[in-house]
Amino acid sequence: MRRTASTRLLVASVAIALTMGAGCGKGQPVIKIGFAGPLTGDQAAQGTDMLHGAELAVDQAAAAGPIVPGLRVELAALDDARNPAMAVSVAKRLAADPNVVAVVGHLNSSCTKPASAIYHEAGVLHVNPVSSNPEISRQGFDNFFRICPTDDLQGPAAARFAMERLGARRIFVIDDLTTYGRGLANEFIKAARGRGAEILGHEGITQGEKDFTPLLIKVKMINPELIYFAGMFPEAALLLKQRFALQIPAHFLGGDGLFEPTLIDLAGAEAAEGAYVTTLGGDIRQAPAAGDFVRAFEAKYGHLGAYSSYSYEATRIVLEAIRRAGRKDRPAVLAAMQQMKSYSGILGTHTFDSKGDTTLRTIGIYTIKGGRFEFLEASG
Amino acid sequence: MSPGEFFLQQFINGLAIGSIYALIALGYTMVYGIIQLINFAHGEIFMAGAYLGLAAILLIGSIGPIGAAAGAAPALSLVLTILTAAAGCALLGLAVERVAYRPLRQAPKLSVLITAIGVSFFLQNAVMLSFGAQDRYVPPLLPVLHARIGSVTVTLMQGIVLAVSLMLMMGLQGIVYGTALGRAMRATAQDPLAARLMGIPVNRIIAVTFAMGSALAGVGGVLFGLTYSTINFHDGYLTGLKAFTAAVLGGIGNIPGAMLGGLLLGFLEGFAAAYLSTQWKNVVAFTVLVLVLILRPRGLLGERVAERA
Repeated sequence: MRRTASTRLLVASVAIALTMGAGCGKGQPVIKIGFAGPLTGDQAAQGTDMLHGAELAVDQAAAAGPIVPGLRVELAALDDARNPAMAVSVAKRLAADPNVVAVVGHLNSSCTKPASAIYHEAGVLHVNPVSSNPEISRQGFDNFFRICPTDDLQGPAAARFAMERLGARRIFVIDDLTTYGRGLANEFIKAARGRGAEILGHEGITQGEKDFTPLLIKVKMINPELIYFAGMFPEAALLLKQRFALQIPAHFLGGDGLFEPTLIDLAGAEAAEGAYVTTLGGDIRQAPAAGDFVRAFEAKYGHLGAYSSYSYEATRIVLEAIRRAGRKDRPAVLAAMQQMKSYSGILGTHTFDSKGDTTLRTIGIYTIKGGRFEFLEASG
Repeated sequence: MSPGEFFLQQFINGLAIGSIYALIALGYTMVYGIIQLINFAHGEIFMAGAYLGLAAILLIGSIGPIGAAAGAAPALSLVLTILTAAAGCALLGLAVERVAYRPLRQAPKLSVLITAIGVSFFLQNAVMLSFGAQDRYVPPLLPVLHARIGSVTVTLMQGIVLAVSLMLMMGLQGIVYGTALGRAMRATAQDPLAARLMGIPVNRIIAVTFAMGSALAGVGGVLFGLTYSTINFHDGYLTGLKAFTAAVLGGIGNIPGAMLGGLLLGFLEGFAAAYLSTQWKNVVAFTVLVLVLILRPRGLLGERVAERA
């Protein structure tokens, strides 16, 4: 309660500052791309990496010349603190701003899902970078597009890796009770059972808690061959650290929410050693079209985040739709996006299906070795 | 792992987390005992303690000769870190009391309560702005050591949490029931007006109570940071809430009650997660709280005293 209120206050003041900035701006009319993600709170590392990707896309486009003659393209970045209630208020704020013609966001599926309904109602183009819950695109919103593979691909890919490569049959599943975590865990369980795995238990933990030892002691007694965790890196770091303290020998496999170097800092390299994660898409450093992006990003911001390329790509797609529409008009931008048959970007060539999901369906698998993520293989 | 070992392992974990709850609960209970204020900023003092501990660890590591000495004797750097956080939090507690609560001493209780919530916001955001909004990693001061009894493991950190908490609780008990200062604190708690008439500097005693409670929370913060190795500016909220629950469970205003409540809450959470499911641990903990309050409205060790006018 208190946290929500305090961060909301912060967001409100940021928003006021932003609108004031626009009001007394440089005279030139603006066209805005909304960005929403966790810029404060425990997932701020990932949210900031995403914001940098979007910023880079807008800056590069602005440097290359006007997208729409006479209009300056600007990013309106707001913080949802990974909190669904905040995400809704942020979405309402973006929807109410007539200068915002499209939104890139959010990170968490639990935020994207309620926010998508608000963008749909407002007729704003909504391009989502990394919220992988499959339910979001099943709501039938014609303004929703997504450039990452979904968890009905990620869960089965993880199950296949766990069973074929790691030879695990007896599996314990933990999730973080969010839309993303619970959804991914269920997809994993369905696929693993289909392959003949024995799910020894499935429990949920609460985001923001620190002591997962009681659960892990239970896992230790059950003695599975693999622990699958569907959640985000702050909780995963604690699970890894406490698993190490209890000396549980089971393999540890997690979803894309763990693919963040901070995970290894927080857990400690020793405790994180040998953990596996699945990722949305393959290794960005090996993608043929991504070389320039990686160089430009690292030159400007230093370290390349796991989701930076996705927000960069999503923002570039939005910019392309705006360029094709040629004016500050929500329906025109949305129509331009709907007519875009395919888009060739740094991740590959996206074609959007009837639900707005990309046809790029690669899931990557990494392991942690010597304090670093190491690419193993890609599937799909 | 046999069921017996399973129980023992859960018991050890509950004991460690429960002692941290108990350390924080003491601050809630001491302040309530003396001025009947639920100090909602206390959770934030605990969180600030964790950050002060982190700052101390980084500082000790960066000063050459001290860092070398501390590296050679990890126990020394642990003691230094704990003392820094305790002293820093004591000062913070004093400042909060002086700035936010003392001017409202004659005001209605509700005004002070709302001020406490305001202080809590302020401290959270101050820490967020100065240390950043991300989780911070607390480097371990001590090597990760395990002792194994069968398949039960005890970490060095769990042992230290328990030892430090026990020492502090016994020390506090000694001060409150064995010294002139403690007598003055108890007198002020019973009747501030009469205490003042007896020549007790009531305001100073209240300030000292805040400082002591805050120092304990600061130590709790350091132990928390070292145990879980990640801290965040909003950690004070959930942990503070649990410690408050522990204080109420044991009987708010009662010092042994806070210790008992903290340990009990640690066990309740642990065993609920162990024998039911992690999803249910908070439900079980708070259900027990409700039941205790229905059956014993003043908490487990709370005494039936008439409401003061």
